[in-house]
Amino acid sequence: MTWGRAEPLDDIAGQVAIVGVGEGDHSKASGRTTTEIGLQAIERALDDAGLAPTDVDGLMWIPSFPGQVDDAAFHAHFGTKHELWTSHAGGGMVWAGTAPHTAARAMAEGKASVVVNAFAVAWASQRGQMVGGPGQTHAQELHKQQLEVPFGWFPQPVYFATIARRHMYEYGTTEEQLGAVAVTLRRHANLHPTAVMKDRPLTIEQYLASPPVCTPFRKEDCSLISDGGGAYVMTSVERARDLARPVVEVAGVGLGSSFAGVHWAEQGDFTSTPQVYAAPGAYAMAGITAADIDVLACYDPFTIASIMQVEDLGFCKKGEGGAFAASGALAYDTGVIPYNTHGGLLSHAYVLGVAHVVELVRQLRGEAAAQVTDPEVAVYGGYTGPQASTLVLRKA
Amino acid sequence: MRDEFPLPDPTEPLTGPFWQHAAQGVLAIPRTADGRWHWYPKTTDVEWVPVSGRGTVFSWTEVHQVFLPAFADQVPFLTGLVALEEDPSVRLATRFVDCETIEIGDAVEVTFRPMRFSTVDREVQAPYFKPA
Repeated sequence: MTWGRAEPLDDIAGQVAIVGVGEGDHSKASGRTTTEIGLQAIERALDDAGLAPTDVDGLMWIPSFPGQVDDAAFHAHFGTKHELWTSHAGGGMVWAGTAPHTAARAMAEGKASVVVNAFAVAWASQRGQMVGGPGQTHAQELHKQQLEVPFGWFPQPVYFATIARRHMYEYGTTEEQLGAVAVTLRRHANLHPTAVMKDRPLTIEQYLASPPVCTPFRKEDCSLISDGGGAYVMTSVERARDLARPVVEVAGVGLGSSFAGVHWAEQGDFTSTPQVYAAPGAYAMAGITAADIDVLACYDPFTIASIMQVEDLGFCKKGEGGAFAASGALAYDTGVIPYNTHGGLLSHAYVLGVAHVVELVRQLRGEAAAQVTDPEVAVYGGYTGPQASTLVLRKA
Repeated sequence: MRDEFPLPDPTEPLTGPFWQHAAQGVLAIPRTADGRWHWYPKTTDVEWVPVSGRGTVFSWTEVHQVFLPAFADQVPFLTGLVALEEDPSVRLATRFVDCETIEIGDAVEVTFRPMRFSTVDREVQAPYFKPA
C-alpha cells in the first residue's frame, strides 16, 4: 500500500558543511523570550564557527512559530544592516533536516555564502499563560477541531498513545519496550551538561510505577516542555576547510510526505512514519546504507516515535523496534546504533530537533558528552507527522 | 478560538452535516459522485449517506491527564478510532462508552449521547460507540 511519497530533491552531496553549532540555554520556565533564546544560540554558533555577524549573508527561520529570529531581529541585536538572503523553510522538526538542502541551493545560485538556521521556543515559560505550545496549531485545524477534539482525541500525546497501542497490537510491542527507550535516553541526558533532566536518573522500575497520562503512555513517554533553542552555521565545504573546526559535510538529504497530511487518524499505514519515503533518497545521495551509520538522532516527541523511525530508517525489521530498543541497541556506548546521545526531546530538551543536529555535529567532531567512538557518518531523522526528513552528515 | 470550543459547530460547511445528522440520531459519512467514501470531508460536493453504525475498534487510549479545561470533569475516558464496517479505511475519532475498557478488533456500534462540557452552555448529540 502506498500512503506517501518521496519528494524530489537535487543532489547536493558534498557541497555544504556545518561549520558552527550553538544552543540557547535549555531549561524549564525561565522567563526568557523566544527571540532572546534564538539570538543566544546564534551568537554561540557564530562563536563556535569563528565567524562574525557581518560574515552571515543568509538566515533561515520558520514564521509559523512566533518569535523566531528574523532578519530584523538579527540586525537589531548585532547592530548590522547588510543584505541577508532569507528563507522561511528553516527551524526545527523536518526543517532542521532539510535546511541544509535549501541553503545548498541558495549557495549554488549565488544568493548566499554563509547561512544560519536557528530555532527556539519558550513554551515552558508560556505554559502558565496558556498560549502557544504544541497543541495549539492542531486545535485550530478545522477537521481536528470539528471531528477529533470534541471526542477528546487530542492533543499529540493522545494521538501517539493511540499509535503506540496499535503498534503493540500489530507487532507485540510492550510497555517495557517503550520504557527502554525512555530509560536509555535519560541515561544519555544524565551525561549531558545542558540536558534539562541531567540530574534526574530513571530506572525501568520507576518508569513502570509512573502513573498513566493516556495509556499506554506515562509522562516519561512524552517529550518535555522546555525553553531553549539551537542554531547551526552552513557554508561551502571549500570555505569550511579554512575555518577552525573539523569539517562536517552534508552528504545526503531526503524528504517524505504522508498523503494524510496532519490527520494521523487517516494515515494509510498508522504505525509507520514518512521516514519510509525520506530515507532511501538521502541514503542514495550519500551513497550509504543504514549499516554505515555510526550515530543516529531522531525527532522523538514520544517513545513510540523513536521505535517507528528506527524501524523505518532500516536499523531493524518493521515491528521489531521495541525489542531492538529493549536489547540495549540504542545505548551510546554498548549499542548497535547510538541514538539520541544527548537525551532527545524526552530528556535533553524539547527544542524540536535543532539540538539533535547540534549533537550530531559534536559527535562527528569528537566533542560530545556521551561520545561515540570515532563516528564517521551521522543521521538526523526529522519528523512532523505529515512529513519526515533524513539528513546524512559525514566527517570530511 | 470560538467561545464554544471544544463543542463542534453544526453550521461549519465542510463538517457540519456530520453533526446535523447526529442530531437526528443518524451516522452519516460523505460520499463523492464516483461512489467513494470521502473522509475527512475536504469538499462540500458530496452526498452525506447514512451508514450502518457498525465497526471495529482500530485503536484506543484511556486519557487520564486533563489536556483541555473542558475535559476536567470527564477524565478518565476512553477515546480512539473506529474502522467503519462499510470501509475500514474510514476511521472515526470517537468516545467509547458503556464499557470499562476495550480492545483493538472489538465489534462496536454507534450510540447517540449528549455531548456536554462544563465550560460551554450549549450541548449537542454525538455519535459515540459501545460494544456490539
